[in-house]
Amino acid sequence: MAPKYKLVYYDSKGRGELARLLFAAAEVEYEDYRFKEEDWPKLKGDTPFGQVPVLEVDGKPLAQSNAIARYLAREFGLAGKTAWDQAQVDMIVETMQDMGNPVIPIWLCKNEEEKAKLTKTYEEETLPRFMEEIQKILVANNEGKGFLVGDTMTLADLALFASIDWFAVAAKDPLGKFPKLQEFKDRIASCPKIAAWLEKRPKTEF
Amino acid sequence: MAHSYKLRYFNLQGRAELARLVFAAAGVEYEDVRYEFADWPKLKASTPFGQIPVLEVDGKPMAQSNAIARYLAREFGLAGKTAWDQGQVDMLVETMMDIGAPVPKIRQCTDEDEKAKLKKSFAEEHLPHYMEAIQKILEENREGKGFLVGDEITLADLAFMGGQDWLKLAMDNPLEKYPKLQKFVDRIAAIPKIAEWLKKRPETEL
Repeated sequence: MAPKYKLVYYDSKGRGELARLLFAAAEVEYEDYRFKEEDWPKLKGDTPFGQVPVLEVDGKPLAQSNAIARYLAREFGLAGKTAWDQAQVDMIVETMQDMGNPVIPIWLCKNEEEKAKLTKTYEEETLPRFMEEIQKILVANNEGKGFLVGDTMTLADLALFASIDWFAVAAKDPLGKFPKLQEFKDRIASCPKIAAWLEKRPKTEF
Repeated sequence: MAHSYKLRYFNLQGRAELARLVFAAAGVEYEDVRYEFADWPKLKASTPFGQIPVLEVDGKPMAQSNAIARYLAREFGLAGKTAWDQGQVDMLVETMMDIGAPVPKIRQCTDEDEKAKLKKSFAEEHLPHYMEAIQKILEENREGKGFLVGDEITLADLAFMGGQDWLKLAMDNPLEKYPKLQKFVDRIAAIPKIAEWLKKRPETEL
C-alpha cells in the first residue's frame, strides 16, 4: 500500500519547497501542511529537533530538509541512476547550500554600507564563481540541452531550480551572465508536472 | 575490480575526517593526501568547485564533504539498511552540521566578553537542545546499548563520534550531562578498526 506523506512547514517556499517539487515531479500525493507562525510553539515539541520542515511517512517523522529531499528522491527514482550519478547529484545539492549561505546574513544586515558591500561580493564574486562551475557541469552533459546529471530529471535539477529564487533574495539577476543556466531554468519550469505545481502553489514572498 | 580511492584535503580533521572514518570503519584502502596551506592556491583549479575535500574514484573527482561521506557509506554498506534507516542516518548527519555551526564564530571571536557570552549560549542552550533529542533517539534504539540507527554501525554513529572534537573547540566537555551519549561515543571509538585509525591518524589542531 502506498505510504501516506505529510510535509510540515511554514506557508512559504524556503526549506520546504524542494520536497514539494519532488512530490510534483513524481506526481505523488501528499498533505502539504502549512502552519501559521502563531501555531509554531505548539508544534515545535512534536518535531525531532524543534525545527521544520518535517516529513511524516505513515506518521513517522524525518527532519532536515536535505535528508527529506534525498529520501524522497531515492523513493521516487529521482536520485540518480547509478551510484556515481547519485554522488554527483548529492554534490550539486550540497553546493546549493554553499551558494545560499550568504543570503540570510545579507538579508539581516541593518547597516546599509555593510549590506551593500556584502551584496556586491555575493553578486560579483561568490555566486558567479559557483554558477560558472555549475554551468560547466550542465554543458558537459548533453551539451547543456538536458539535465545536470544523467539523461533524466534528478534532485540536482530541482535543487538548482528551487535555489535560484533563494539566491535572488540577496542578489539581483543570479543567472544574468549564465545563459545556459537561464535556458535550463526555463526548461525545468516548463516541464508539465513542474509547470502545474508552479501554477497552483500558494504565492508567497519567500 | 576494487576501486582506487584518493582523498585530497589539508592536514586536518576538518571536513575530511568523516570520509576517513568511513574508510577506517569499512577497512578500505585509500590514498590520504594532505596539503600544506601554502600549496593550496595552485591546486585550487584542479578541483570541481575550488574547494577541498575532493574524492577521486578511479581518477574521477567529486566534491562536497558530506556528499563524499554519503557516497562512501553507501558503497561500503554503512548508510543504513533500509530506505527509512538511510533517511534517519542522513537526518542525524545533517543535524551534526547544525550542532557544530556556531563553532567558527566562537573560535574567531576576539572580544573576550562576547566570546564568553557565545560560549555560554552554546553550552547552555544550543547544545542541550540537540543532545537531549539525540540521546532520546539513541535510547529508543535497543535501549541505547547499540547504535543510533538500526543494528549496525552507520555514518550517523561515525559523524556523532567524529564530530565531538569539533564541538570541543567551543566547550570543554560537550557530553558531560549526557552519560548515555558519552558511553556510546566511547563504544564507537573502541571498535577495533576505528580505534586503530584514531591511534594512527596525524595529530592536528583541527
